[in-house]
Amino acid sequence: MSAPAAPPTEYRDSHTILGDIRESVVDLLGHRELLMQLTLRDIKLRYKQAVMGFAWAILMPILVVLAGLVVNLAMSHLSGKPLSSRGMSGVAVKALPWSFFVGAVGFASNSLITNQNLVSKVFFPREVLPLSSVFAQGFDSGVGAIALALVLPFFGATFSPALLWVVPLVLLLVVFTTAVCLFLACTNLFYRDVKYIVQVLLTFGIFFTPVLFEPAMLGGKAGELIMLNPLAPILEGFRLAVVEGHNLLVALPAPAGGGAGALWSPWYLAWSTVAAFLGLILSVSLFRRLSFLFAEFV
Amino acid sequence: MNGEGRSPRGRVIVDGVWKKFRRGERHDSLRDLIPNTARRLLGRRPDPLALQSNDFWALKDVSFEILPGQALGIIGHNGAGKSTLLKLLTRILRPTLGRIETTGRIGALIEIAAGFHPDLTGRENVFLQGAIMGMPSATIRKRFDEIVEFSGIGDFIDTPVKRYSSGMNARLGFSIAAHLEPDVLIIDEVLSVGDLSFQERAFGRMQEVVRSGIPVAVVSHQLDRVRTLCTDAILLSSGEIVQRGTAEECIASYVQAAAAERPKNLAAIPGFSFGTITIVGEEHIRSGDRRLLRLTGHRDDAAAETKRFELSFQLRSLESGQVVYRTWSHHHGEGVTDAGFFELEVDLQFNLPPGLYSIETWAGDAERDERLGDGPSMRIVVEGGPKFHGKAQLNPIITLRQGCATDSSG
Repeated sequence: MSAPAAPPTEYRDSHTILGDIRESVVDLLGHRELLMQLTLRDIKLRYKQAVMGFAWAILMPILVVLAGLVVNLAMSHLSGKPLSSRGMSGVAVKALPWSFFVGAVGFASNSLITNQNLVSKVFFPREVLPLSSVFAQGFDSGVGAIALALVLPFFGATFSPALLWVVPLVLLLVVFTTAVCLFLACTNLFYRDVKYIVQVLLTFGIFFTPVLFEPAMLGGKAGELIMLNPLAPILEGFRLAVVEGHNLLVALPAPAGGGAGALWSPWYLAWSTVAAFLGLILSVSLFRRLSFLFAEFV
Repeated sequence: MNGEGRSPRGRVIVDGVWKKFRRGERHDSLRDLIPNTARRLLGRRPDPLALQSNDFWALKDVSFEILPGQALGIIGHNGAGKSTLLKLLTRILRPTLGRIETTGRIGALIEIAAGFHPDLTGRENVFLQGAIMGMPSATIRKRFDEIVEFSGIGDFIDTPVKRYSSGMNARLGFSIAAHLEPDVLIIDEVLSVGDLSFQERAFGRMQEVVRSGIPVAVVSHQLDRVRTLCTDAILLSSGEIVQRGTAEECIASYVQAAAAERPKNLAAIPGFSFGTITIVGEEHIRSGDRRLLRLTGHRDDAAAETKRFELSFQLRSLESGQVVYRTWSHHHGEGVTDAGFFELEVDLQFNLPPGLYSIETWAGDAERDERLGDGPSMRIVVEGGPKFHGKAQLNPIITLRQGCATDSSG
């Protein structure tokens, strides 16, 4: 193999992170129809031949709620306090965003591999693949949310202005989930063992995320520590806003005897926000910079 | 594609492009990440021109330009780098070195059914595949009926694609792609999709596109198609451009090189050797002329293992690569049985369309149905003679009766 006499200029774009993001956004806007079609495809495929049809969308959240029932029964048995319908509504409210996260990450982290044929043969912004998985999962969760909204009033939930917090919380959840999905989709393509790690993390993640329980139940330090999981403040935020009608800007002290930690602080939410947006920025940039290698490695 | 009304905006510039690939398995696992990162952190950034042990150049210093109105054929044997080049043009891959500039919307007819999902119906897949190819859904809706009609899928359009035959699949895929309105079109080996009538329709469509004046790049092993479709061509060999010129010139050198690559064991026939092949008399051949071919050689020993050496020759078109005529001496009751020099004379009428041909010879054993070894070959040019188009001279005798008072057909 002979080397060229005069080496030509190297192919390299000198990108900044902001440049990556701008490029990504412009490309995605240009390909929004593709994003829509791929999302539609994923939704259709899920509902087309499924025996359960739309019940599929609420199966996972219902299972999570049942698991929460078991956990909370055990705890009420131990503490001697009766099982509250309020506590169970809390689990139901958190089950939905948790199912969204797990479902989206599960599909999105494999999206580049399962669409190998497209990645290696057609040019389009690769972001649309993990994003369409997130959106399709969003559709499922939307169906679940409607079901939840119909059921919750029977468990004593009332309307309060705090419900408005749901909007920024959903946004935050989607941003964080997208960040994780982009990162995993891209690393999974280069390192095939990532998908096994993801499986394990998703299976055991429910123990490190306050879905079935409330952080205050862990007592002071541990309760604070678990709030470092960026999903924790988002899920707790959902519960407090929907079930307790609590304004998330107001801190809540831990219940008596629960130790030093606060049950809620707006700072938790601030941390989640920083983690979600910083994560999104970094993962978009990483994805962009590596995407030209996808066709070669997939 | 009806591109006639639009001003051609597309343009393709490929400037000093190199592309490096790695042989073998590429899937790394996480445990490779740490040594790799360490190496990178230590600043040993690999020189892009240096080849690691498993690396090879799929393309070496390739430069060309496709202007509006040009259709460039890219030809070469398998592994010459054609598909890599197309993937670089469509931006699926990025060159290791060099620059590729394509302006305008690129339409790529590579893997035309790549986006199809078997569980979705034909209709759903048209919208999906259209979106994947970059077609706005408003355009797809507008041209949906045309697409379905072109594909000939008919009522099956609402059937899941998994029930389609592979031909139907490909036809639908091609029809979607054929209704793109790109500024640059890239065609990879999709001209042989469907049955004969569909192929003709597809080919006609592609000719329309080429005539519409956008730059087109074509990869195909159907050399006839390349010659008809393309104004220019490049010949790739092991990742390098070895020739550029008209499609005809490049195809001729490609076929000739391919013919030369065939295993030749001139000296390897025990007890037998070839001499030369010549055309007796005027070497200038016009279509329809008769010429005498003379093939010489020597048989050493009449008692050799092979009792009778059969001689065979064939004419191959250097433009399409196809063998246009082949015969064996034993079909004509001849064979080399006696020791000593021999001389085979063949009186041929060159009823061939004008073009470049090669005459190839070999010896075989008819009893054991074995090809023993190749003999000499030569190139000839057949020039335009009596007027005929097509592939076969049928030597017509034409009689025309006219001005008759009665109809003789009844």
